[in-house]
Amino acid sequence: MMKIFHESSTILFNRHVQNWKTGGGKVVGYTCSYVPDEIFYAAGILPYRLRGVGAREMNIADAYFGPFICSLPKCLLQLASEGKYHFLEGVVVTPGCDSMRRLDDCWRKAGEDITETLPSFFFHYAVPHKTADYSLKWFIEETHLLKCAVEKHFNVTITDAQLHNAIDIYNEGRLLLSRLDALRCATDVAISGADALAVVLASTTMPRKAFNSLLMDLIAQIEANTDRITGRKRLMLVGSANDDVELVRLIEGNEALIVADNLCFGARFYADLVEPEDDPVAALAKRYLFHNDCPRMFGDYKGRLSILKEKIKRAAVDGVILQNIRFCDLHGSENGIFERDLETAGIPCLRIEREYGPLVETGRIRMRIDAFLERLEK
Amino acid sequence: MRKELKEYPFDWMLWRAFAAAARLKAGSEKEYRQAVNQIPYFRGALDAIYGIGEPGRLLLEMVAEYFEKIIHAEKRGQKTAITTFCFSPAVFYALDIVPITLEMMTVAMGATYKRGTADFLDYCNEVGFTETSCSSQRGSLGAYLAGNGVTIDMVVCDSPGVCDTNVNAFAFASAYLDKPFFQLNMPPDLIAARSTEYHRADYRALIDFLEEQTGRKLDTAKLRRILEEVVRQDLLMAELEELQILVPNPLPVTFNLLIYAGRFLYAGMPQCTKLLESMLAIGRENAGRNQSGLSSGREKLRGFFCYIDHYGQDFRLWQLLDRMDISYHGNILSKMWSQDAHYVKAFDRQKEGYKIDTTDLDTLIDSISDLNSRMPMIKSIRGPYDAPHMWLQDTLALAKLHKADFIVYNGTPGCRNTWGMVKPFARDTEKNGFPTLILYSDAFDMRVESWETTASRIEEFLKVRRLCS
Amino acid sequence: MITAGCDVGSLTSKAIIMNDNRIVAQELIRSQIKPAESAVAVMECALQKAGLTIQDINFCVGTGYGRDKIPFVQEAVSEITCHAMGARWLLPTVKTVIDIGGQDCKAMRIDKDGKIVKFITNDKCASGTGRFLEVMARIIGVSLDDLGGLSARAKAPITMANACTVWAQADVIQHLNDGIAAEDIGAGINNAMASRMAVLANNIGLERDLCMTGGVAKNVGVVAALEKLLGMTIKRIKKVDPQLVGAVGAALIAADKCERSAAS
Repeated sequence: MMKIFHESSTILFNRHVQNWKTGGGKVVGYTCSYVPDEIFYAAGILPYRLRGVGAREMNIADAYFGPFICSLPKCLLQLASEGKYHFLEGVVVTPGCDSMRRLDDCWRKAGEDITETLPSFFFHYAVPHKTADYSLKWFIEETHLLKCAVEKHFNVTITDAQLHNAIDIYNEGRLLLSRLDALRCATDVAISGADALAVVLASTTMPRKAFNSLLMDLIAQIEANTDRITGRKRLMLVGSANDDVELVRLIEGNEALIVADNLCFGARFYADLVEPEDDPVAALAKRYLFHNDCPRMFGDYKGRLSILKEKIKRAAVDGVILQNIRFCDLHGSENGIFERDLETAGIPCLRIEREYGPLVETGRIRMRIDAFLERLEK
Repeated sequence: MRKELKEYPFDWMLWRAFAAAARLKAGSEKEYRQAVNQIPYFRGALDAIYGIGEPGRLLLEMVAEYFEKIIHAEKRGQKTAITTFCFSPAVFYALDIVPITLEMMTVAMGATYKRGTADFLDYCNEVGFTETSCSSQRGSLGAYLAGNGVTIDMVVCDSPGVCDTNVNAFAFASAYLDKPFFQLNMPPDLIAARSTEYHRADYRALIDFLEEQTGRKLDTAKLRRILEEVVRQDLLMAELEELQILVPNPLPVTFNLLIYAGRFLYAGMPQCTKLLESMLAIGRENAGRNQSGLSSGREKLRGFFCYIDHYGQDFRLWQLLDRMDISYHGNILSKMWSQDAHYVKAFDRQKEGYKIDTTDLDTLIDSISDLNSRMPMIKSIRGPYDAPHMWLQDTLALAKLHKADFIVYNGTPGCRNTWGMVKPFARDTEKNGFPTLILYSDAFDMRVESWETTASRIEEFLKVRRLCS
Repeated sequence: MITAGCDVGSLTSKAIIMNDNRIVAQELIRSQIKPAESAVAVMECALQKAGLTIQDINFCVGTGYGRDKIPFVQEAVSEITCHAMGARWLLPTVKTVIDIGGQDCKAMRIDKDGKIVKFITNDKCASGTGRFLEVMARIIGVSLDDLGGLSARAKAPITMANACTVWAQADVIQHLNDGIAAEDIGAGINNAMASRMAVLANNIGLERDLCMTGGVAKNVGVVAALEKLLGMTIKRIKKVDPQLVGAVGAALIAADKCERSAAS
């Protein structure tokens, strides 16, 4: 059963997306966990979290991006320019961080140079960097603008009822993913970090109802099965976006398990439900702006630290891997303070810098992980 | 960090250095020469600064006074706030808060010390801050993180939405030092009604924060006086920049630096006004005689720096430009976008400019909010570079207005938001007829690329593009 | 009890044979492309010196980047752990170890048993490694062995670009063209290396005594500059070539594992 999730998490144009397109469905890609999937679900569009999986070269991306840029938006641009995102009818870019924000500029420019690179619907979704009453007001308006733009471009009407329904479906998925989370961080671990990541990644590419159904089956299967993984070091993975199952597998090896994370392609994606209220757009805006946040929400370090400490306790974590993509200063720097405060609290940490893209330098990473696990052996 | 650096607080050292530098011309020329021989790594900068006459002396006095206020803030019962250059300090002065503008501290130390801020840059990395972050804040931030400067009371910035790596430095400082933090967050658009509404709501929240931190209420009369002074400064700057357009440019190459140094340090305060008046006197005099501001009196080329300058040791960029007879036509930092600015009027872009309305407290706050949202970088780096009112449009308009012969992009490797699009940007400026040089150096850290290499790249560009022989 | 440690690095491979925790043979060779072949070659040399065969070895631990490919080891252990163990054994008062090898550099704080308390490694970049020195030495036309000695003869060391090896090369060429003396450039190179390492070392908090391992420990210019930056004397490892410390540590860990398995 895990094969379905792994396939969906490693192949861009996976069979679920293919079936969707064959059925006449439309797909809109988005760059960041702050974009409300529910808007697209309600419009009958498949929301698809953009990933750089499969990018092998950077020759096109490097023509637009400068050298001191995180490799994640570069991979996205490379794939788009190679036509690998041919199945998208639209893209939503957010100012997740400066590098991702400039994907907007570079993608449009590449679209002028290379045909069929730029989808016809291209929306800049201005997510604020703070949580205040006026920034919520802005974000509610921005979400209305997104909704209206989708309606206009795709010639659909998104009713409140449809949005409420979408919220229910996605909340159901969040609750299921939280149940999987509990299985993952139990004393006797039921699912590896690599498999858990594959499940979360699949949720970002598949129609949500189908995903919910598959996940329910998987959870039932796991709960019925008594096989558990024991005797390994329990690690938590924190930091920059990671959608690479092989990286998690590399870290886990035979000696460790990622039993918890605070990643945007991981726990942060499904943390916090949309709380029901009369205005579904406002409900969405509140959840997405105030949910388990990212260092792009400047000034909330203490909040994020307490989330990590709570997870460490709940999952009985032995050590924390603080990783960042090179040039990711937001995660990279915050990892530095996490390390200081977690080590002071007696929680061993390892900081790793890596590239996003094809998994390379496995030897270098492996050496650091081995040394860290040997340190934990005391 | 080398232990000798910890013997004296770095901001105290800068105060003493600039206070002494400001008095160097009080004696004879011989005494000046003997004194500067003792400071081989600051000598070139001082020669360039004093070479422009009274404005140079005023600059040094102004900078020395700025540091003096920082050193004595606690004794005088004032709070200190670390902040960024693109945050107007006018509101701090209105609330009697002493601003510590990190980038200006980094530039000051880079100009005076042989190794610049290298030790403090490294210290930031030692305590967990990424080495790929911008060096402009990191240079002086390291000193404060190491406890090698005055006590910081709060952290204030306005770069979220504009420059992540900038605000990240302040967010890190706040978390590391456990100090209160406030960010003004900029939407990607400048002039839409909802953007203005957002700016103003955000600014009011800022004032609430500052009042809470200081225990003081914003004094309407004081804010009015400060903003009236801002208007005076805007008019002076407008005239200076109109003079810059003339052929030949009557302003010496260092004047642009003085314009923005004055505003970043003393917006709304008489120290900046005095500096601008002094510069204008020289500019008017040169213009009256149709004389170039360059030392040689010959203007061969006109250069526009679309982003920031290079603050390498001893201010060698300005010495290079002057030596090569290249007049300096501004950069992003000297453009404040008042409605009185000549470039606003020339292109009929009033909506993008701010106007100060001193009627009551509400209009004063709205005005300062509008002013702040048009600060350099804040105004034009926030949205897609090719969107209306954004960086490309501004650069092309200004380069055309100033009849620039070429454009130079210089920044730091940490500048994620410009390195994310400077290639398409340069392609567009080239398409519009401006030979454009992208420098890969670090404006604040010579260990990334030595000044010698940077200078050779500038000279090579000018030769290859047949701009000079 | 005869134990061995085999450290297969990207540039050099090392082997140590110990008899009851006394070093009886040591060898260092240039690595070949395949780690397994390097391991076999260096171990054969060491065994020959000791007058032993591989069957005489009770327990062998492999380390270095090629540790998982060594056919004759019982266990693979990270070089961080091995360097820490080796340094502590060679200098029993050491609490902080700085290792600069060919392709990476690390700093470790260790406890009284040589176990890791905290460690840090360089980010992906050649500029904090022996490779940086190799490239620079070639450009200024000196051997790697002679590069260290230039610092003592320098009159005005340049400030080198140290963030990127590629850019540093451009800088060195620029300085050579400007007629700067090789001693001043060499000193600048050594200082740049030291300053990058100092940042790493300070990150984990230094505790006396401090020592260096790896090939760059033999560069007197880097060591002197590092002492100045860290404000601490760096104790010299004299019993073995500093490049062999990882292999020493591996052999000691092999002895420990051998004893434990005999006890159980």
